[in-house]
Amino acid sequence: MTTAKPHSSSVWPWYAMAIAGIVTLVASFVAPPDALQGELSRILYVHVPAAWLAYVSFGVTMIASAAYLWKKDLKWDRIAAASAEIGVLFTGMTLVIGMIWAKSTWGVWWTWDARLTLTAIMFFVYLGYLALRRSTDDLEARAKRAAILGVLAVVQIPLVHFSVVLWRGLHQTPSLLKPASVDMDTPMVITLLVAVVMFSVMYVAMMVKLVELGKLEEQVILSELSSRTPVAGSAVTAPSLGGDA
Amino acid sequence: MSPTFLSQAMTVARRDVLRERRSGEVLWVTLPFGAVALLLIPIAISTDTLTLRRVGVGMFWVVVMLFGVLIAVRRTTADSTAQRDMVALTGMDPAAVFTGTALANFLLLLVFETVLGVLTVVLYDIDLSGAQWFPLILVLVAVGLALLGTIAAGIVATGRSTAALVPLIVAPMSVPLLIAATQSFEGLRLGKSILTWILMLAVIALVLAVAGVLSARPLQETG
Repeated sequence: MTTAKPHSSSVWPWYAMAIAGIVTLVASFVAPPDALQGELSRILYVHVPAAWLAYVSFGVTMIASAAYLWKKDLKWDRIAAASAEIGVLFTGMTLVIGMIWAKSTWGVWWTWDARLTLTAIMFFVYLGYLALRRSTDDLEARAKRAAILGVLAVVQIPLVHFSVVLWRGLHQTPSLLKPASVDMDTPMVITLLVAVVMFSVMYVAMMVKLVELGKLEEQVILSELSSRTPVAGSAVTAPSLGGDA
Repeated sequence: MSPTFLSQAMTVARRDVLRERRSGEVLWVTLPFGAVALLLIPIAISTDTLTLRRVGVGMFWVVVMLFGVLIAVRRTTADSTAQRDMVALTGMDPAAVFTGTALANFLLLLVFETVLGVLTVVLYDIDLSGAQWFPLILVLVAVGLALLGTIAAGIVATGRSTAALVPLIVAPMSVPLLIAATQSFEGLRLGKSILTWILMLAVIALVLAVAGVLSARPLQETG
């Protein structure tokens, strides 16, 4: 009798995520505070990399979706899904952190700035993408439908961006809430770059774990489906002796 | 475009319009629902005529975007997988099926917009400057929303929670339509040129039409 081989799972992504998180945190606190914004400027070291990676994630989702539609290989679907999940996480993080910064700096939680509005719209578009993925257990159908939405979602981003920028162009720019021009010192720029690199490491590590998870999830769905599928002759019941008990 | 394609698309459009004539879902359910929303908004915001005149057009378009989606969902929930399979087995071009469905959705949306538009003018005392542009804007928005709704309905067709998923997908994606529609009316009110917004509505319609036609076959293959 042999024992089943446990599923091999890479451990390095966990270490990579932990190290990247710690490095970002340390770098954020080592950097000098901003002359105008003080300690609040440290938010920048999380907000900017999160926003950058949100866009990268959705770009990867689009490329992987297109690759799935071309190659019909579920590997691409797993990559697209994993990247969209991370993208939604980073977009949510960008919005929340941005709102905290806006409240402290401008006195309001939300301003209808074009980029902010676009980010919020993207958040909901990809939330819809993730909801769509949960709506069926048919792996092929799920992959194809999600791939089409994954491509369409990115195609419409320039339209949203252009319309939002034009829309804001019609209105007076906020006078009191206008952000001051940013002129960063070298230590701050270096810290920001370190944070962007560390967040990118986190993205890769999360991608590896989520793609692994996606594969396991597919196996579970397939085994559940096969257990539900009736086998030949299952509708036939065994004959039993008649008569009253 | 071959005549077969057109005749197939027209057959599907006729089927959907006929189905609506029999069920009256848009006319007797969605339309009154939208009208109720237009009645509720002033109760929640303000019944002051000046305020209503200022927000009326925006409210009209929000109601059209949110409730208009229900028109696209209506067809998805009505079609069973067996019906879709049957249509596929007839050998109809999936792009023609998409075009026909979008055409029917467009016609129903146009009726929906027109009736609610008249109601908005009455209830909110809307400024009618540049009214000659209204039909064009209404038509372009109806085309865009019909195409977007039809694509989204096709994407979620056989899944769970279809009725809830389509609005979640369509609502954020309809932002360019909403902005272009509201800003067109704002431009007319201020006496500015609205050609940029008209162009944007046309581009959106074109992009969605191409996306819908290209995705029709892969979507049909998923059942």
